[in-house]
Amino acid sequence: MKKDIDIKSVAKLAAINLSEHEEKKLEKDLNIILEHVEALSKMDIDDEEISIHPLGEILNLREDISSEFLTHDEAMSNSPETEDGHFVVPPSLD
Amino acid sequence: MNMIPTIGMETHVELNTNSKMFCNCAVVETEVPNISLCPTCLGLPGALPVPNLKAIESITMLALSANCSITNNGMFHRKNYFYPDLPKNYQISQFDLPVGVNGSLEIILDESTETIEIERIHMEEDTGKSIHKGSGRIDSATSTLLDFNRSGVPLVEIVTKPIIRSSKEAVSYIEELRQLVIDLGISEGKLEKGNLRFDANISVAQEGDKELGVKVEIKNMNSLRSLEKAIDYEIKRQTNLIAANKEIIQETRHWDEDKEVTSSMRSKEGSADYRYFSDPDLPNMILSEEFIDNIKKEIPTLPSEKRKKVSDTGLSLSESNHLSKSEGWIYDLYLNTQKITNDSKTTYNFITGELQGQLRKVEMEILPEWVSSERLSEIILMINDNKISFTSGKEILTNLIKNDINPNEFAETNNLIQENDFEEIGKIVKDVIEANNDVVQRIKDGEDKLIGFLVGQIIKSSGGNINPSIAKDLLLKEL
Amino acid sequence: MNLSNSSISEINKLYKSKELKPSEVYEEVFTNASLSESIIHAHLKLFQEEGIEASKLSDERFAEGKQLSDLDGIPIAIKDNINLKNHETTCSSKILSNYVSPYDATVITKLRNSGVVFTGKTNLDEFAMGSSTENSAFGPTKNPWNPEHVPGGSSGGSAAVVSVGSALASLGSDTGGSIRQPASFCGVVGFKPTYGTVSRYGLVAFASSLDQIGPITNSVEDAKIIFNSIKGHDPLDATSIQDTSIEIPEDKTAKVGVIKELMEDGISDESKNEVEKTIKLLEEQGNKVVEVSLPLTKMALSIYYLIAPAECSANLSRLDGVRYGSRESGETSYEMIENTRAEGFGEEVKKRILLGTYALSAGYYDAYYGQALKARSLITKDFDNIFQEVDYLISPTTPTPAFKFGEKTENPLEMYMSDLCTIPANLAGLPAISIPTGLSNQNMPLSIQLMSPARTDSSLLKFSEKLEKLVAFNQRTPLLKDMK
Repeated sequence: MKKDIDIKSVAKLAAINLSEHEEKKLEKDLNIILEHVEALSKMDIDDEEISIHPLGEILNLREDISSEFLTHDEAMSNSPETEDGHFVVPPSLD
Repeated sequence: MNMIPTIGMETHVELNTNSKMFCNCAVVETEVPNISLCPTCLGLPGALPVPNLKAIESITMLALSANCSITNNGMFHRKNYFYPDLPKNYQISQFDLPVGVNGSLEIILDESTETIEIERIHMEEDTGKSIHKGSGRIDSATSTLLDFNRSGVPLVEIVTKPIIRSSKEAVSYIEELRQLVIDLGISEGKLEKGNLRFDANISVAQEGDKELGVKVEIKNMNSLRSLEKAIDYEIKRQTNLIAANKEIIQETRHWDEDKEVTSSMRSKEGSADYRYFSDPDLPNMILSEEFIDNIKKEIPTLPSEKRKKVSDTGLSLSESNHLSKSEGWIYDLYLNTQKITNDSKTTYNFITGELQGQLRKVEMEILPEWVSSERLSEIILMINDNKISFTSGKEILTNLIKNDINPNEFAETNNLIQENDFEEIGKIVKDVIEANNDVVQRIKDGEDKLIGFLVGQIIKSSGGNINPSIAKDLLLKEL
Repeated sequence: MNLSNSSISEINKLYKSKELKPSEVYEEVFTNASLSESIIHAHLKLFQEEGIEASKLSDERFAEGKQLSDLDGIPIAIKDNINLKNHETTCSSKILSNYVSPYDATVITKLRNSGVVFTGKTNLDEFAMGSSTENSAFGPTKNPWNPEHVPGGSSGGSAAVVSVGSALASLGSDTGGSIRQPASFCGVVGFKPTYGTVSRYGLVAFASSLDQIGPITNSVEDAKIIFNSIKGHDPLDATSIQDTSIEIPEDKTAKVGVIKELMEDGISDESKNEVEKTIKLLEEQGNKVVEVSLPLTKMALSIYYLIAPAECSANLSRLDGVRYGSRESGETSYEMIENTRAEGFGEEVKKRILLGTYALSAGYYDAYYGQALKARSLITKDFDNIFQEVDYLISPTTPTPAFKFGEKTENPLEMYMSDLCTIPANLAGLPAISIPTGLSNQNMPLSIQLMSPARTDSSLLKFSEKLEKLVAFNQRTPLLKDMK
């Protein structure tokens, strides 16, 4: 397995704008951790099943009943910027 | 060089549940922003999703109706990407264990049946809405406004195999899918409201090529007309590029309704890495055979079944298709009326042409309850028996729409009953010929146009109640 | 009587007999807070007025004999990653430093309905990621036994307040040991319930399949009382389990297993000693103690450090400055988001997000995250097998007593190692409890950990109460004694 992490592209995927200094430090630390988990990645356990819940619980679905929770003001209360009842952000391009 | 287009359709259907997919917030239709929210659909820290049973029942019903195999042991996955209208910056969706796989939908194209294979049907949640403010052009916005009322609304995604061959086929497929979700009662299916949205994946390849060409995704087609035009445009664009030996870039393009072209969207480098993984907030979703059987029992008459019922009465495929996609009352009215009249074509034309036309004229959207199959068949039978003319039939219908009348009685009271007796008509014909000798002469000299005038005279002198075709026949005999 | 280190049931008795009032107890814990906070910095927010008001209402209820529950009038501190309506929930992060929650976590609603008096929100490692509370964006908490030592983490603040008596109990959260380890370092009891028994609705998620809320208390009985109050199936949490409890027959001769791999190198002699000491006491009582093996123990760290970061990388994606929290500038929304997260997250959080993003990314999923999920099933199976032979498991809670500040921040792996003993229980969803048993040569608390099969929480608590009596460790931090 490739050991050295491409920190720039991972930071892009994670939407974090790292400084150069951070990039260097994190790259170093992450490579140390990845080396440590190498043994796990080499284990031969292909036949094992994945279960989402540690106790193997299955999903309970909910009745289709609607109810109110947050008022408009509560929903907007922490917004850094609002306009006409909308949340405002710098332009998001497609 | 014959280029064959290959089209795959990705359609999103908004379900008409009371509450959202993963929380109890109401699914609302409103201009007021951000009023149906909770920590879950707003993506607040600490919130958790709990799936909507009705949504799962609806998607299962859809998958069964589309002949899919249902996944008994399924799961939800997180699809990770950053975008301001996606509150958690991941969408809860399904990756490799969707509810339904390997199905098919029957569509009508011209006068034949086609089968569109369906790859998968899966459950996911909708995003909020973005409004770009600024000078009006999409790429020079100054800010973006966000409304999360729609965030979390249940969305079903249906993906076809790359098997569609033309824009007309694609349109027919969407029409069929739309009718299906309406008939199942799981969605309103209104394109203009965004209940049904679609993207097309288009490629072209040379005839005989085993591999498909480079796939281009087209977004932003908001109507069936746009869909048709966009597909036609894109096929031409790709064909031209290949003819000029140019490369087709795998990308997402945007249909511009005004310019009627597809244009490149600001694309990100490479294809997105969504880092799908099973959502640890949602344990395995078991859909038992019992659950599936119960849903099967609830499935109403499907559009394809409606078509069969109608075509069994003798109508063509396209006529049957038309009825299967009309409102339910028209379909029911046709079948019930046809049962009585035994005349499919006339019944079909009378209902879809005359009745619907007249209702439209008086701006009536709902059929008055007394306009029943019994009343309509009375009119049709009178016409077929030559008891009244077609025109009289129209008049009786007009009155029936206004009031509950008995067509037979109305015809008698209003002197609409046609005279069909040959002797009686013959007398009038002779009278008219005598009174119009000069015209007769001109007809004999070749002015056939004047036959109509004489027929008109015959009808006039009888008071309007004689069978016009008998009158004409007798007249011609005399001449 | 040192009220603040008394048990909940003792105090409840005094409330009922009217020898003591909730407002009096609240005043004492608040005094302890005022005295200790400048040294240990355990609370991020102290609710003075609100606490007084709530305790006075509790006074009235007891006066009229209308108390809401056995927890009525008990002052409890809440870790700051649990939502309390109309209060800041910062998760000790800059990115949420101004975030005021508009809703209560389910556990908070339950405690409110029980008449609990909330003392305030406690400090933690940022977003619960850490084992020392050194990762808090608002400064670390100090260990009340020796302020040069860490209190443990991530629930360092919650453990310290109980230790020093500025609350009678607290709620923490445990993903890889974050309740048990700080409880151990601070000489108090810390209990992590079976996964799914306590609702996670309102707990800011770190690793969804591992997180559980649990009590940190002065005694096992107190932990039991609080657990009974906060547990229960929650329709708002799809991972919360149905209310089925499994009982382990109450035998004098319970069979206890010592996990071999957690008594080897990597564990300090002092910590091993505590386990051995405790085993002797158990044997004297007629319990059978055998050695068992959990061969995947060493692998557990790797499994955890792939699963937890992967899940947290997605859980923390919602922190983007769009709808709440801090916001930096940007020409486009994407730029704004990137800058906000760069500025708002601390180093450890960034590290785990990036590690998790990498473990999930195309081409690496199968080798890392996918692999970890499979290995996790193996650990669960191993535990299942062991529990065919024994009823309970015993091990040290931590490899060492509380270390000093800065001692483990050099190598990323060193800090992670302190979770060695606690991680397996999270991976398998088992209930686990840390019980203080003694003091080290440096006068720092030592503890042992007990585990039992999933859903056997009440049996584990009963057995732990018995063990607690046997051990009879009754020492308290000298901090306030020296000050008063």
